[in-house]
Amino acid sequence: MEIIEKIKTNISIDNQTEIQKICLNKLQSSPLPNPKSEQWRLSNKSKLSTLLDYSVNEKDSKFDITYPKNSQSTIRLVIGDNCQINLIEENYSINQLSEDKLVEYIKEQISCFDQNENWSDLLNLSLNSTKNTLGFKVSGSEIPPIEIFSNASSNSLNAKTLIIFLEKNCDIDLLQVNLGKDNSSLSQSTFLFLEENSSVNHGVVSYGENKSNLLNSLNIIQQKNSEYNLGSLHFKFNYARFEIRIKQSEGNARTNIKGMQITKKDEQISTYSKIEFNGPNGFLDQINKSLADDKSHAIFEGSIIVPKIAQKTDASQLSRNLLLSNLAQIDTKPQLEIIADDVKCKHGATISQLNEEELFYMRTRGITLTEASKLQLSSYFQEIISFIPVSKNRWDLLDKLLNEN
Amino acid sequence: MVNENLVKDVVKEPYKYGFVTDIETEKIEKGLNEDIIKLISQKKEEPRFLLDFRLKAFKKWQKMKEPDWAAIGYKKIDYQDIIYYSAPKQKEKISSLDEVDPKLLETFDKLGIPLTEQKKLTNVAVDAVFDSVSIATTFREELAEHGVIFCSISEAVKNHADLIEKYLGTVVPASDNYFAALNSAVFSDGSFVYIPKGVTCPMDLSSYFRINSGDSGQFERTLIIAEESSSVSYLEGCTAPMFDTNTLHAAVVELIALDDASIKYSTVQNWYAGDEKGIGGIFNFVTKRGKCLGKRSKISWSQVETGSAITWKYPSCLLLGEESVGEFYSVALTNNLQQADTGTKMIHIGPKTKSTIVSKGISAGNSKNSYRGLVKIGTKATGSRNYSQCDSMLIGDQASANTFPYIKSQQPNSEIEHEASTCRISEDQLFYLQSRGIEFEEAVSMMVSGFCRDVFNQLPMEFAAEADKLLALKLEGSVG
Repeated sequence: MEIIEKIKTNISIDNQTEIQKICLNKLQSSPLPNPKSEQWRLSNKSKLSTLLDYSVNEKDSKFDITYPKNSQSTIRLVIGDNCQINLIEENYSINQLSEDKLVEYIKEQISCFDQNENWSDLLNLSLNSTKNTLGFKVSGSEIPPIEIFSNASSNSLNAKTLIIFLEKNCDIDLLQVNLGKDNSSLSQSTFLFLEENSSVNHGVVSYGENKSNLLNSLNIIQQKNSEYNLGSLHFKFNYARFEIRIKQSEGNARTNIKGMQITKKDEQISTYSKIEFNGPNGFLDQINKSLADDKSHAIFEGSIIVPKIAQKTDASQLSRNLLLSNLAQIDTKPQLEIIADDVKCKHGATISQLNEEELFYMRTRGITLTEASKLQLSSYFQEIISFIPVSKNRWDLLDKLLNEN
Repeated sequence: MVNENLVKDVVKEPYKYGFVTDIETEKIEKGLNEDIIKLISQKKEEPRFLLDFRLKAFKKWQKMKEPDWAAIGYKKIDYQDIIYYSAPKQKEKISSLDEVDPKLLETFDKLGIPLTEQKKLTNVAVDAVFDSVSIATTFREELAEHGVIFCSISEAVKNHADLIEKYLGTVVPASDNYFAALNSAVFSDGSFVYIPKGVTCPMDLSSYFRINSGDSGQFERTLIIAEESSSVSYLEGCTAPMFDTNTLHAAVVELIALDDASIKYSTVQNWYAGDEKGIGGIFNFVTKRGKCLGKRSKISWSQVETGSAITWKYPSCLLLGEESVGEFYSVALTNNLQQADTGTKMIHIGPKTKSTIVSKGISAGNSKNSYRGLVKIGTKATGSRNYSQCDSMLIGDQASANTFPYIKSQQPNSEIEHEASTCRISEDQLFYLQSRGIEFEEAVSMMVSGFCRDVFNQLPMEFAAEADKLLALKLEGSVG
């Protein structure tokens, strides 16, 4: 059944919001993303369509995951359940955005969407009435770390949208956790707007259970002198797709990305990133790691776009991949599109397996092969995990990853 | 500060091969249909199997769509407005060079191609192709003593039909892509090389392609077969006159290397690139592929691409044999409104196969230069290795350089490395050279030549010098 039909059966026509109508209209022209387009070429089509097999769930059933203990010093929000936030403290304030403001902003975003590139966002917005949208504005200083959860319950398709505005001179640590239950699909779209001199340490941790699917898209706009640091980790999804789109709207901004995806069994996890520099003196340092085992498939495609205006851009992108099984597959495509002439751009890619010499060395020192592999993997993981803010002490990510092995 | 105009002036050397030879030619009418293909086949007195091959390819071509994925833009080609066969009129059979029309010899003389006896000293055997047909092949007897067959493909069809039937279309099948199908249907001439078992070809072989007529396309086909333990180095050069219309060039090159054989294929492509406003120029859509069939076989592509309005070219290696080796060394220079989408494909199928890719792109003016490469390691290619390096140099702030490396691995016991960088001519280096009394233009061309050194080192001696000069000429006036 076509996705449009599925959505229509789930949402009564009368209750559709204006945005849902716009997005449905746009989706109607390409109900499934065009497999001929570069962004969707490698996507496993049958997995992508199972993602849409579950019925849309607007109401959150009680989600029974044991979150790590909440500490007093962090702000914790769960998207859905008409989540509200309004905090005015001495040094900072976090204000919920009014519905009108949200609608206005989303409409503006939709007007610059590209059908293939933003297909995940269109799907997200057409599935989500405002109930599962959380939007707020942050200003001030000494803001406590913020944790935001998104989840999909069993046998349902959940769509959640997050919109955050960061005012001038504002620094935050933000951790986004996306959790998928057994047989579920989660569509998460995030829009983050960084004003001048602001900075975000953003962590995105997504993990699923059996047969969970995820479409996770990040849209970031950076004004000048802002800094955006992203640490991301995706694992245990039947099908997951992580899209990162960052635009340095006037250049003069810094972006650091460290991402990792781990696939096992017959999973497929992909990361698509597109970084655009719309002004001079931009900086990017990106590393993406993949690990593919069993019969799984890991994909990375990253593009860096440097138009004529973006002189003195300094961008580097590295894709490092570990292929651990004969039946697993890795595709990687780091790409550069450059028109400005005074730039420093480089990219690199490697695909290999665990270093045999190192393994042998450890074994001669009495460490078993299993332990030695774990040690090597932990150093491989650690670089990324240590970059994820807020969570690192409380989420035991490294243990989780290693014990899965 | 570097004076931009000065630098731009450095690259404005007119295209010196742009003359037209006034010679009587035999052309067939414009257009493409089964009758035209039958006519070409009939003119060339081809055996039945080849006509069938052509017609089959034509049927496939009709069903195919012109590819649009490359990062190039050009006005639609009207395939019915092209002459598919054009040949200089000459006596029936040429037994020696003396019988070749002196005008033709003069043309190749002007191009610096040694066809006449006195120039044969250079120890390079040449097959000269003018529009649709091969004019002359030199050093034949000497080569024949070693058992090497070097002739035009039309002659090979007549004299070595068994080899043609066995190998033609085995590396690039007719249905491979749109332009390969078109070529398979209408190819007119090209070179054929056969190196027998255990023979190291005593001299470099060379083909020289010249488009003379403005309204005919050139569709040549080259087939090189290297038997066990043989080796050959093959050079290819191309030029065309200046016309303000676009001319289509769709060639197919197939290489086959058996056990322990090695083929080195070098190209200096200098088709007319169109003028500064992008008017005229050759549309160069070429399919080049080598098959390393045998164990420890090696195919090495080196190319210097400086001409053509549009270049769409991905010389590839299919590494089937155990421990076979594929190499690709490329310099692609684009200036004015030229567009190049070029790169390579290394398909590792056999175990312990190795490949190396070194690509240097230089874009100046308003041009667009893209590297597009695929490295694929199949499930059986244990212990395979690939190393790729693509560097781009931007000259002026209007040019663009893109890199699209596709990497796919299905074999954990293999290693792939890719690195790419983009730079421009550094002012510090220019200043340093100038302060040592080296003129600006010379300094620029020294730096460009240094940037390309890794590739030039792979070219045969004569070609390397030529390529270096060619780049300096092409860049004159464009550095900013």
